[in-house]
Amino acid sequence: MRRQRVWALVAALAVSLWVLLPIYLIAASAFSEQQAVYDWPKSLWPSPLSVDTLRFFFSVEGVWKATRNSLVVAGLTVLLSALLGTPAGYALARYAFRGQAAYRMLILMTRAFPLVILSIPLAQQFIRFGMYDTTLAVALVHTALALPFSVLISASVFLGIPKELEEAAWTLGCSPLQAFRRIVVPLALPGLAAAAVFSFVTSWNEVFAASILTLRERTLTAYLLSVLGEAPLPFRFAGGFFLVVPALIFLFLIRRYLFSMWGIASR
Amino acid sequence: MRTIAAIRVENVVKTFGRVRALDGVSLEVKEGEFVVLLGPSGCGKTTLLRVIAGLETADEGRVEIGGRDVTSLPPRRRGIAMVFQNYAVFPHLTVFENVAFGLRMRKAPAAEVTERVRRVAALVQIGDLLERYPAQLSGGQRQRVATARALAVDPVVLLMDEPLSNLDALLRLEMRAELKKLLTDLQTTTLYVTHDQVEAMSLADRIAVMKDGRIVQVDTPLKVYQEPVNTFVGRFIGSPPMNFLQVKLSNDLADGAPTVEGTAVAGPKNHQGRELLLGVRPEDLELTDARPGALECRVVVVEPLGSHLLATLEWRGQPLKATVPVDAPMKPGDTVYFEPKQERIRWMDPVTGTVVQ
Repeated sequence: MRRQRVWALVAALAVSLWVLLPIYLIAASAFSEQQAVYDWPKSLWPSPLSVDTLRFFFSVEGVWKATRNSLVVAGLTVLLSALLGTPAGYALARYAFRGQAAYRMLILMTRAFPLVILSIPLAQQFIRFGMYDTTLAVALVHTALALPFSVLISASVFLGIPKELEEAAWTLGCSPLQAFRRIVVPLALPGLAAAAVFSFVTSWNEVFAASILTLRERTLTAYLLSVLGEAPLPFRFAGGFFLVVPALIFLFLIRRYLFSMWGIASR
Repeated sequence: MRTIAAIRVENVVKTFGRVRALDGVSLEVKEGEFVVLLGPSGCGKTTLLRVIAGLETADEGRVEIGGRDVTSLPPRRRGIAMVFQNYAVFPHLTVFENVAFGLRMRKAPAAEVTERVRRVAALVQIGDLLERYPAQLSGGQRQRVATARALAVDPVVLLMDEPLSNLDALLRLEMRAELKKLLTDLQTTTLYVTHDQVEAMSLADRIAVMKDGRIVQVDTPLKVYQEPVNTFVGRFIGSPPMNFLQVKLSNDLADGAPTVEGTAVAGPKNHQGRELLLGVRPEDLELTDARPGALECRVVVVEPLGSHLLATLEWRGQPLKATVPVDAPMKPGDTVYFEPKQERIRWMDPVTGTVVQ
């Protein structure tokens, strides 16, 4: 029993190191002075601690704009996939309708279709609609990418809320909409938040569609991809840092909800 | 004068796909009455309750509550309250807010809400739990919260769907007695679903026995127990169930009635020469001395149950059970004699399984 615990601890430690060490090294380099990047052997602690590299990163033309674009696109993606995904998830969870299994499958199939093949016709269509090189166009594509998860996660969240709770609310004077707002939403909120974070991270990290569909209105990933090749090393570390951080922060913020969603109650 | 029925159900039909869950059900519950829907699982009792609650809509037929046709009204317009099998207590609300929920939906003034919640909570003895969340409560306490929440809205009828079935045996017994006292005091019209015949017997003013989507018999517990209309009711109610013996009646009459062949047991008049089922409850078989007219049985098993012995017997190759006093000298293999109490015998048709007059 005790030995098992020790091994579990060692395994957990190894996995954590595997994931966290590269992130830490990137962060350390991002917070070092610019030439520290070229030092060898590397020091494990950024010394001296400095925002020099970060300042340099944000002084480069286009970075701020790209960051703002990324936030707008991710925000729109979260909004759209929540607005579309939540009702779809609710319908999947609560109503038995003809072709439900096929519908569920279809949702997943959209992810099986490679974006690479889709991007050129999509770009063409967006040009035709005059939407090419807009944040909205990128957000629409990202919504398409995030929506399957949004639907399936919210469906499983709603499935976890007993139907009797809603029925009880109906018998106590609620209309279906009131019951949804007063009973289902509060109980589903943690799970729905997790779905939203998934959408956010999906959008924030997506590079391919964003690169194809924009020229001037680059998102951060698309922008970095286009300039990274020629950029100096410190810039790359700062860029890498800013790609990783939002996802980390968000996962950290919702970790409690993720845990409770997966049955490891933290309360 | 016709009194207003609290619930009137007329010829309700409800199908799920190919399954006919309710097959033309009619039922009347009078004001202040406690009626139990009793039947094996899948008999449609919960479906009937849900149709009355408005959680399902009937394919055919009418539902009236308090003299109002509610057939096509949503649950919130029916004047009902319901207690669910798994309680359905809202986990994100305190006990107070759970109980207050229905009143808040009616936009009752705050003072009235507080007053009513406290009163109902006191009735079901959860007055000291009002600030807690459901996760901090035991099963029995949650059951009380669910009951309080339903009573708080002062419903025209209270619907209960197996409210005690998730409690352990001892608690169930306690809650049963408590519930009976509470609902008798409040005079709340109640329709209560259970598959537990003891629960039904102990709580009900009247029992409606259901089978295969139909109501088979509606009567007081004692009547349903003593005078089942068919073999199903006889076997379903009572533990151990009613005995049914295949017998042949004599052609010649004694005192105007035929007798069961080989015994002095009188059969029903006008049925001489017929084969019938003799229905008799285990406690209505009386142990007697060796006597020519009695049922001569072989003892198969004797189970001491504390208050009495339960004897499994065999009479002409047919099994039957009898309860006998603990001091009765009896062991497997013995030959013993029983006489059924004549007035307690129910005669059934062996083909249709229904009672013979």
